[in-house]
Amino acid sequence: MADWEEIKRLAADFQKVQLSSTSQKLSERNCIEIISYLKEKKIIDLIFTVDGKEFLTPLHLIQDIRNELFVSGGRINLVELAKIIGVDLAHITTHLKDVLKGQKDIHSILGQLIDSSYITKIAGEINEKLSQQGQINISDLTIQYDLSAEFLQQQVVEKHLGKIIHGKQDSNDPRVFFTESFIARCKAKIRGALSGLTRPTPVASILNQINMSEKLFFSLYDQTCMYGSLTSRVVGAQYIPNVYARSQSEWVTNFYRQNAYLEYDALARLGISDYKSYIKKQFSNEEITFLNSCAASKRILERAEADIEECIASKSYLDLQSNLPSVFNENDIQLILESILIKQKQQQTIVIENYIISKAFIENLSKNFDELVKEKAKSVVESGKYQQYQTELQVSSTKPQKFEDVEEKIDKREERRKKAAGGKSGGGTQGRETKTKSTKKPARAKHVEVEVEFVEKKQLEIITSEDISEAVQSELEDDGLDELTLPLMQYLLPQLNEKGLELANEIYAVTVADRTANRRQTHNELQNKLNALIGDVRLFDKGLKLLPEDLQPQLQKYLLKTLCTDVVNEILNYVAAEQNLSTQSENFNNDQRLKFANDLPPDFKKPLVPLIKSLTGQSIEDFMVTVEEGLAACSMIIKKIDKKKDRTIVLNHKHVLLEQLNKCDDLALVLHLATLVIFTTVTQCMLHASGRHVAAILNFLKQYLSEEQITELTSYHDFVTLMLSGGTEAENAKEKLKEKIQVVKNIANDFKKPGTEKC
Amino acid sequence: MVDESTRKTLSSIPLLKTKAGPRDKELWVQRLKEEYQSLIKYVQNNKEADNDWFRLESNKEGTKWFGKCWFIHDLLKYEFDVEFDIPVMYPTTAPEIALPELDGKTAKMYRGGKICLSDHFKPLWARNVPKFGIGHAMALGLGPWLAVEIPDLIAKGVISYKEKTG
Repeated sequence: MADWEEIKRLAADFQKVQLSSTSQKLSERNCIEIISYLKEKKIIDLIFTVDGKEFLTPLHLIQDIRNELFVSGGRINLVELAKIIGVDLAHITTHLKDVLKGQKDIHSILGQLIDSSYITKIAGEINEKLSQQGQINISDLTIQYDLSAEFLQQQVVEKHLGKIIHGKQDSNDPRVFFTESFIARCKAKIRGALSGLTRPTPVASILNQINMSEKLFFSLYDQTCMYGSLTSRVVGAQYIPNVYARSQSEWVTNFYRQNAYLEYDALARLGISDYKSYIKKQFSNEEITFLNSCAASKRILERAEADIEECIASKSYLDLQSNLPSVFNENDIQLILESILIKQKQQQTIVIENYIISKAFIENLSKNFDELVKEKAKSVVESGKYQQYQTELQVSSTKPQKFEDVEEKIDKREERRKKAAGGKSGGGTQGRETKTKSTKKPARAKHVEVEVEFVEKKQLEIITSEDISEAVQSELEDDGLDELTLPLMQYLLPQLNEKGLELANEIYAVTVADRTANRRQTHNELQNKLNALIGDVRLFDKGLKLLPEDLQPQLQKYLLKTLCTDVVNEILNYVAAEQNLSTQSENFNNDQRLKFANDLPPDFKKPLVPLIKSLTGQSIEDFMVTVEEGLAACSMIIKKIDKKKDRTIVLNHKHVLLEQLNKCDDLALVLHLATLVIFTTVTQCMLHASGRHVAAILNFLKQYLSEEQITELTSYHDFVTLMLSGGTEAENAKEKLKEKIQVVKNIANDFKKPGTEKC
Repeated sequence: MVDESTRKTLSSIPLLKTKAGPRDKELWVQRLKEEYQSLIKYVQNNKEADNDWFRLESNKEGTKWFGKCWFIHDLLKYEFDVEFDIPVMYPTTAPEIALPELDGKTAKMYRGGKICLSDHFKPLWARNVPKFGIGHAMALGLGPWLAVEIPDLIAKGVISYKEKTG
């Protein structure tokens, strides 16, 4: 029955349950309805959660925020907060000011809430870090804590400086904090580093070594003792230890004192980059010349100057390179020379490369060549190269006046004479020449440049470079100057050449003068010779007049063609020589003679042309007249006829003829000579005739000869004609003639003028 | 089938284990004990959900049950007597719940005020023998019937609100 009891109890329980009051519950829907109604009426202020299923009162929200802030350790992000509380971020931001109200220890920064506990905590952390690192930068902290630098600076660090954070604020940079010990450590480091340095070191490498920021270094640098100086306050600066600067300046001063110069390279090696200003500063009271690679003291310049003076005085040369410190390069030497070689000295010296050579030295040197040059010049003149060169100059260039001058010099003698003699007529050509000269002058300047090369090419090489170089080399080798051979040679060559040209010119002038002197002599000789010739001609003419009339013109013609022509040729030769024309007038025919005469200046042309024409004429008289005029042009006089002299001449002539006859073996010539001898003996006159006239003359002589003489001579004459005509009988005739030759000679020798015989 | 809220309520009613009817003496006691426990839980659930809608008590043997049930419509509480017997074939046969007051007032009712249960009820019950008990019958049977019929009846004017009937 226990079961039934239990049933009863359960039934009772059931009743009790049924009778128990039902909890008065509103459905969710009703609740939302009620709340929205209340909110609408603004009876209550509620905040929906994000899911909309919960409501919060603002007070609760504020409380929640504070709680969350506390839970998260004093710092929370608003977005996170909104997520945790489950309300919209907007609600949190709107109620933020209520949270902050009256709560000075809570800060809202960059969307985060931070309370003082957190600040205290990070201040502690910062302090710890500071004591570890020695210095701390706000900017580093901003990265670490993700907070604004300003907040960290003002709210965290500065607020707790001296309380939680034990350190100092950098006076130069308020964002940097450090501990005293750190500063002391840094200073010690810097001091150590700087005092250890003996040579200029870039700040960057110092910093690298001591592991320090440049800012700190520069701020602490002033407080550490001064062992040196900094070139500037930037990273690229150099630290120059006093020790170094001192030793550097000592070195420089010593070097300068000892050597009197400073090499830029050496300074650069010492780390002095701005050497010019450095030198100026270092030796402010010294006179220093800045050269290309060195700075030289006045001492060096004075020494060099003295050297040069001495070189000039001793007439020698000077190798500046070896006299100056070896570091001086060519440009330096150039500069030194520019500064020392004043004008006066420049005139006395020549600078070749680094050598200063006194003019006297060079003169001495060139003296050695005088002989050589003279020789060469002579040979040049003698070989006719010079004349050729002159004429070439005349021909090739009408322009270079220089050579015209030379030419003029040569002609001067002639001109002077011409002027004296011819006056106006001579001035014709000369006048034109001077005229061209004056017109050329302005143009010359322009031309010269263009033509210098041209002229130089043309310039006659009196002496060749080989000639000089050998001699110079041998000369210089003794002094160890052989490297100067080429430049010296180049210097000397034109000089010597000029000299050579001058010499050649002189020599030429001398030869010309000699020639004119000779000419004067020959003039006299010629005059005599011509006189003799003309006398001969006159005498021959006279002799010829004795012959029959019909024979006379032939003989006259012959005379003109032979002796007279000789006379004319002599005259022309003389004129040619006078005019400096090289002509071989001996071989001239008549036309050439005429042409030559026509080319002559008028004062010669006038009398000579009729003279030459008279040669082709018939009469000796014409010739005689014209020859007189011609000779007058050549300033020669025909001597007056001297009868006594004529006789001796005739006698002489006869003797000469006889001598010739006796020596002669020529079969024909024997007869010719014999005839002439007989004629001269008969007439006491000379006859000039050719072999052709022999027969005629024999005819004329018949009256004076004996019968046998005549037959001998005529037969001989016949055989001669036979022989000359050739043919079969020529040999035979020759034999006959050989037999008779002595007979004819005897006749001529023994012949006496009939008159004298009688007497 | 049954609506969502019914299903929910149903699932919260504890299931029974003993298959026994009123005639099974000892086992019936066991069964009855389970019935009561189940009902207590169900009522408690209802009260908690502010959904209390009936009062039940039984005779000593637990074969006859009677009580009241009510329905709130337009903020007015309509109350009806409820009674039913435990059939002999229980729990294979479901109890027939009756509302005698409404006898003849609606077509959805057998003679004697027994309500016409939905087509789904019987197969559902049959499938769940012996797990379903009185509580399930109330929740599955009467609950949905009231929810459907009473507003209809009120609208027809068949029943009217009586001030403080109970």
